[in-house]
Amino acid sequence: MTPRRTGSALLLSLSLALPALAAGELTLSASADADEVALDGTLRLQISATYADRGEPGQLELPPFADFDVVGRSQSDQMSFVFSNGAPSFRHTILTNVTLTPRRVGDLTIEPARVEYQGKTYRTQPIRIHVVPAGQARRGGGRPDPSAGTDDGAPEDRAPDGLDPFADVHPGQRDLLVRASVDNDRPFVGQQVTWSLYLLSRVNVSSLDKLLLPRLDGFWTEDIESPQQLVAEPRTIDGVQYSAYLLRRRALFPLRAGKATIEPAEVGLVTGFGMLFSRGSSRRSSQPVQLDVQPLPPGRPPGFDPGNVGDWTLTATVEPVNVAVGQPVTLRLVASGRGNVRDLQLPKLGNIAGLRAYDPTTSDHETVDKGQVTGTRTVEQLLVPERTGPVEIPALSMEIFDPAQKAYRTLRTAPVGLSVVAAPQGQAPAEPVAQNLLAAGGMRPIRLRLATASAGAAPWSEPWFWPALGAPPFGLALLLGVSRLRRMMMIDPERQRVKLARTAAARRLRGAQALLARGDAGAFYAEIARAVTGYLADKQGILSAGLTREELAEAVARRGHGEETVRRLIRLLDDCDRMRFSPGSGDAPAREAMLGRADQVLSELDRGRA
Amino acid sequence: MTLLLALLLAASDAQGMQLFADANAAYLSGDVARAIASYEALASEGVLSPQLETNLGSAYARQGKRGLAALHFERALFLDPGDDDARSDLVELRRGNVDRLEGELEEGGAETVARLLAPLPGAVAAIALLVLWSACWVLLGVRIARGGSRWASIAATGCFAALLLSALVTWGAAASRRMALQRAVVIAAAAPAREGPSDKSSSRFEVHEGTTARVEDEDGGFRRLKLANGLVGWVPKAAVELVVPPGWAGRGRPES
Repeated sequence: MTPRRTGSALLLSLSLALPALAAGELTLSASADADEVALDGTLRLQISATYADRGEPGQLELPPFADFDVVGRSQSDQMSFVFSNGAPSFRHTILTNVTLTPRRVGDLTIEPARVEYQGKTYRTQPIRIHVVPAGQARRGGGRPDPSAGTDDGAPEDRAPDGLDPFADVHPGQRDLLVRASVDNDRPFVGQQVTWSLYLLSRVNVSSLDKLLLPRLDGFWTEDIESPQQLVAEPRTIDGVQYSAYLLRRRALFPLRAGKATIEPAEVGLVTGFGMLFSRGSSRRSSQPVQLDVQPLPPGRPPGFDPGNVGDWTLTATVEPVNVAVGQPVTLRLVASGRGNVRDLQLPKLGNIAGLRAYDPTTSDHETVDKGQVTGTRTVEQLLVPERTGPVEIPALSMEIFDPAQKAYRTLRTAPVGLSVVAAPQGQAPAEPVAQNLLAAGGMRPIRLRLATASAGAAPWSEPWFWPALGAPPFGLALLLGVSRLRRMMMIDPERQRVKLARTAAARRLRGAQALLARGDAGAFYAEIARAVTGYLADKQGILSAGLTREELAEAVARRGHGEETVRRLIRLLDDCDRMRFSPGSGDAPAREAMLGRADQVLSELDRGRA
Repeated sequence: MTLLLALLLAASDAQGMQLFADANAAYLSGDVARAIASYEALASEGVLSPQLETNLGSAYARQGKRGLAALHFERALFLDPGDDDARSDLVELRRGNVDRLEGELEEGGAETVARLLAPLPGAVAAIALLVLWSACWVLLGVRIARGGSRWASIAATGCFAALLLSALVTWGAAASRRMALQRAVVIAAAAPAREGPSDKSSSRFEVHEGTTARVEDEDGGFRRLKLANGLVGWVPKAAVELVVPPGWAGRGRPES
């Protein structure tokens, strides 16, 4: 919204009215430079009193300004002669300028001003002003005034509006303000941002008793200005005079991209001069400052280090370039320019055949030039030639990002040639001036011999492993089981013989019967005797072969057999022996009877034993 | 026939050695791409060698392929857990990893224990376990058959103690091997870890090349990955590669 201006028409009507002024009269008028103003703006009221004689001017009584605050006032006199109808007439004009700021929104009225002059009372007309909410009218609301900001010779605007620390200040605010500002609120990572802290005052400030700066995490910082004394610089803001004091100025180098906030600074002030009772103390804080740190643009060249941001130059020198073998030369690599020198990464010299390199030393030198941090980083490295002949130190290159050009650049040094000659006789090689520090780490060299590993599965994952583990207990259990079974199944031959003794005897008797059928009487009786003696041996355990008949009888009796059984046994054996060796060997019925007797004896022996 | 087979194997070994030497020469002359091609050719032929894997890892590291470099160093350690070069290179490589695991290790250091156990002679211990186990049972059988004797008791005690030791070593080696078979390395520059095995599932976090994790499951084109601090997500199968070499027992040959 643009305020409507009325001042030009008023001045024109005033100048036309002047010739009509008679002596002893006063012309009083008032005008505002706008009929509409924002709540955070200012308005200039000009009251003009023109007298037609040289007498004492009347006393101007300003309106009470019920709806306005007076934030500034000035007065000027003008004397002039006007020729009207061929006769000169005198004019004395007193211009009173009052700067006002509204207290509320709405239609407000500037009450009439009053002058008592030569017994008369003169009044201006009331002026109606429409006040809109803050920010809806052009800040200041006043008509462009060629004299604005030049009353004290100080320009009104000293920085682009968005970065001016006082851009949001209007005289309706307090008398003491602390403002922080940055010169660039969208810097790249590593680019300098200048942060300044100002005090703006409409009262006298005698000293600063406290200054608490914000923590500046996420930035490299360098002090640019730290004034030891308060030096006032006049500023006019919306027609109101202030004194601006620079409290601190620092260079910030953002370390990472993204939104960043610089927290408020706190300031303690002593105001007033002289008398003890006119002094006072105040505390103020600045506003937080927001930064939107831009990441470095894409397309980083290989080997670019994020610390290499700025406007740099790179040079390399070697001294001396003619040297005897074993004598050191100094390679000096110098980067200088604008930017954060402490974060700068200079290129490293690689291995050069014929040169032994020692650890480099680095030194930095920083200065401030027109608010910009500049510096020089110097890397010095001692090189000792180990052979004669020409040796070239190759060109070194460094990638940088220049935020001014918003582009990456490659800085290159020129290659430097060394001429190494043989050392004069008797000259000892220079003593090592530094130790060769061998830091652990880094990738190891490759291996040249190949040894293969088998892809075999682990034994426990083989199908045979778990059965093999189960085999021993299973085997032992099997062995024990078989043994027990065998023991259970095993037959005692002694018992078997005893058990089968009767069967064997019966078989022999059947054999004897067969012999009898063939007519072999000797064999028949021998077989009967063998059946009985065999039974005695098997069943009774009596070997009759080596025994006399008495001993046999005694042995059988000892086995618990009855006397009759023993007697029958002995007689049977005797009969068999006799019949076997006697001619004829008896008749058939006798032989049948012998079989019957043998069977009876065996039965008795069997029973008796049982 | 056997002689012919032996001759063929020897000829194949000689060719492999020559290829390895050529790859090393290419690497040393700065032709890393050719060195990698030769090393990979050897690996695809089924050559399992910690030296081959270490060299391949170094070559990939030179090319800036951190994921593949880490994978081959891990493979070298899988083949030879005592390989100092591979271990050192892996530590150096991991210094530049994008992923930094925060929080306590959920595995309770099991990974570390497995690493410590890896050099144990598992195969020898398993065979010893088998022999000692059998001996214990034989001694028991003798005791049952012939009754106890002093020497038999001493022998049985010694045998049992050795059996316990070999069982422990075998268990440790088996645990380590089991974990090693699940180990995988992220080889893609970055991969989203999703809630489920689908591109439509929401992404929980992102993993970057060189990060080692455990593969817990597979489904379609995704693998369920568990990081050492317990973070779990499904990542595309092509983004992670198992450490166990293709063709190793328990893992098939890669699909051609």
